Amino acid sequence: MKKLRVATGHLQGCFGCHMAILDLDEDLLSLLDSIDIVRSPINDVKSVPKVDLGILDGALCNTSNVAVAREFRKKAGKILAFGTCAAFGGINGLRNLFSLDDVLQRAYVETESTVRGKVPSSPDIPAMLPHVRAVHQEIAVDYELPGCPPTPKMIRSVLKDIIGGKKPVIPQKNLCHECNRKHQEMYVPKREFVTNAVHAIMELDVIDPDRCFLEQGLICMGPATREGCEARCVKGNVPCRGCMGPTTGALEQGAKMINALASILPAGAMMFMEDVVGVGYRYSLPVSIYPYREEK
Amino acid sequence: MSDRAKKARGHAGATTGLFLSGADGAISSVLDLKSLSARFRKSLPVRIYDNLHSSESINAVRSVVREERLDSVVLAGESPLFYRSARNGDLLLRVLQEEGMNANRIAIVNLKEQTALPHRATPLEATRKASVLIAVGIEKARLSHDVGMIEVAPKKTVAVIGTTSGGIYAAQRLLERGFHVAFVDRPRQEKATPASADAMPTLAYVKNHPHAVFHVAPLEELYGYAGNFRIHLKGGVRLRAGGIIVAIGDDLAYTGELYPFLRLERSNEGHFRTIFSDTAVTETVNPGIFLIPHDTPPASVIACADSAALSLDTLLKRHSITHELFVSEVNQEICGGCGTCIKTCLFHAAELDPSSKLSTTNIKRCVGCGNCVSACPTGARDQVSASTEYLLSAIRILASYNPPNGIRLLYLLCEGCGYQSLDFAGREGMEYPTSVMPLSVRCAGRIDTQFIIEAFREGFSGVVICKCGDDRCLNIVGNTDLDRRANLFRAVLDSRGISPERLRIFGVSNCDGNSCVRGAVDFIEHLRKMGRG
Repeated sequence: MKKLRVATGHLQGCFGCHMAILDLDEDLLSLLDSIDIVRSPINDVKSVPKVDLGILDGALCNTSNVAVAREFRKKAGKILAFGTCAAFGGINGLRNLFSLDDVLQRAYVETESTVRGKVPSSPDIPAMLPHVRAVHQEIAVDYELPGCPPTPKMIRSVLKDIIGGKKPVIPQKNLCHECNRKHQEMYVPKREFVTNAVHAIMELDVIDPDRCFLEQGLICMGPATREGCEARCVKGNVPCRGCMGPTTGALEQGAKMINALASILPAGAMMFMEDVVGVGYRYSLPVSIYPYREEK
Repeated sequence: MSDRAKKARGHAGATTGLFLSGADGAISSVLDLKSLSARFRKSLPVRIYDNLHSSESINAVRSVVREERLDSVVLAGESPLFYRSARNGDLLLRVLQEEGMNANRIAIVNLKEQTALPHRATPLEATRKASVLIAVGIEKARLSHDVGMIEVAPKKTVAVIGTTSGGIYAAQRLLERGFHVAFVDRPRQEKATPASADAMPTLAYVKNHPHAVFHVAPLEELYGYAGNFRIHLKGGVRLRAGGIIVAIGDDLAYTGELYPFLRLERSNEGHFRTIFSDTAVTETVNPGIFLIPHDTPPASVIACADSAALSLDTLLKRHSITHELFVSEVNQEICGGCGTCIKTCLFHAAELDPSSKLSTTNIKRCVGCGNCVSACPTGARDQVSASTEYLLSAIRILASYNPPNGIRLLYLLCEGCGYQSLDFAGREGMEYPTSVMPLSVRCAGRIDTQFIIEAFREGFSGVVICKCGDDRCLNIVGNTDLDRRANLFRAVLDSRGISPERLRIFGVSNCDGNSCVRGAVDFIEHLRKMGRG
């Protein structure tokens, strides 16, 4: 059987998604029987050869990212947006809430550890885009696999589908579906909230590892977040932060989570205690309905 | 931009017809119906009639539906409330259904109360606005799927709530016609003599009748629909009734107690009220539930009792009653069983399916208010009467109208209050700028914050939500849940550089045209001063 020629490319992000490919461990070896990775940041080939599949991780933050993405689109038969940043813009996207000037000032001049900082300006440095964007907002994308990073299980199954010529199917229910924590109050219709207060994780001495976080007054993004991550954070007794993005039925995570929380947790407490925007849009702001702050 | 929006389902090969009503001059004297017809004639069959309720026009509509093989229609003319509140106002709707059209494929566009009447001074603009509203109606007909229906064999028992004169007279009429009657009243500390002395002989008749029973206990639950209501009383009594007559006089405490169960409209003073019409004296917004209004003069009580008894006799004598399932539906492919809808629905209509562990709708209990649809964090839930896809699309279409003052206002109107108020304003002759773009929703609880941000992205300068006043929500908590959602969401607006002041929430009653209209005028002025940002 002819091997699938694959190129991988890195845009803006933490490189964690490329690391996640290595997390396939020995499965990677058997995968290499059916694919040929002809280009990746690891083998340090600069140009993009003609390939059957281009895998892109990271978001579009600067002009170089855009150029790489366009080059991939030209050379690759199919494009897989790989990981949360590629699919939704990821955590990079939070900078869309500020003007580019403010972001550069903060990063290069105002940070507490900076002395005599200066915003770099050289024609050799790719210019920052005014707003972070997801890959599909620049080029046509054939498949998306969210996850920060995607689990080995999902990478395996998606690549297997693509190799087999099938459109990969990723789970589309919310995280609660694969979360095993017990619900009590969430299943009781009543006017009152499920708890009296909203807490930050560090405020609680004990977090019950078996009970729904919301019922303990902790904000968990699970209800508004797609499943498929195997609930790793939740199993580690940490509430979901929403990296898998919205489910297929929602237009965006932030608004949907607010809609839900408003009848679950004390809305007044949330309004004053929580960074509602940061919580709701942490990973998916560039693909939300209003993807950036409007400049006056 | 809307790259994550779902693809429009639509109906392949569907034919929608547009019927424009001149409202006997009220519309045709303001709007240029010919130009509206010309605009839409290219894409669908259009007809103009003097009105849509005379027998001639109803028959004409019927033959067009047959000739053109229409499977959906847009009725652009009188307010949708007209079809509900005028006696036999729904005749045209019935005829369309006889022709095989599904109730959910009939869209009604308000060209009279919310367009021609309030904008009569600016007919050109009014016509432009009408064209946008019609486009929304067409979208509604196109995107709505058929509503499911069930047949109910009516129970031959009527529950009479309140042993007042009105209740006793109505009970006597029903007993004579062969029905069973179950009286329900609340336990009272004071001596229970709400009935007048004149009614005493009738009370004796009723008490001695073998088919009458009396229960004194607070209500615990009440659900179901015309033909088959289930009533649970404290102490374990379970009743089934085909219909209900509410005759509690001016007992405000009891009204408050019954309110979450009966879901009837209330007057400003807090009393239950019948449909806003002189022609439907005992009919309420909740089919199958009839009311002897608290302010019925003694001489008219018996007439009201007769009216209610006759209506119920007609209704319950039927072999079966068709009930349209305008409920909330769940996409089981997306639902993950988080329980948010179960927690949210105070009608206990959202339930966990024990085997799949996913949410389902109990169709006996669901009132279709849509609060769970907003609450659902996954988008698995949707409202049959107005899908999320339709409402988002409607917002985009409404945004395409550019008023002369350049200020576009989205008015999200609860059907129970704001929509009626804006109609009332139109009938009362109040005028306001064409900037106001109305979109009705079943309940304020149906307003998803996604709609608000979508409206701003589409270029609306401001969003107004008209919701029922504090304890007036027909769906118990729709108004408070909306309040919490929208107010939490202000932080999101702020984060996008949209001043939270651009979102206003009005608590209105159902005939509060004044505050709706003055609110709009104030808000437009405020937005003009704000400029951008």
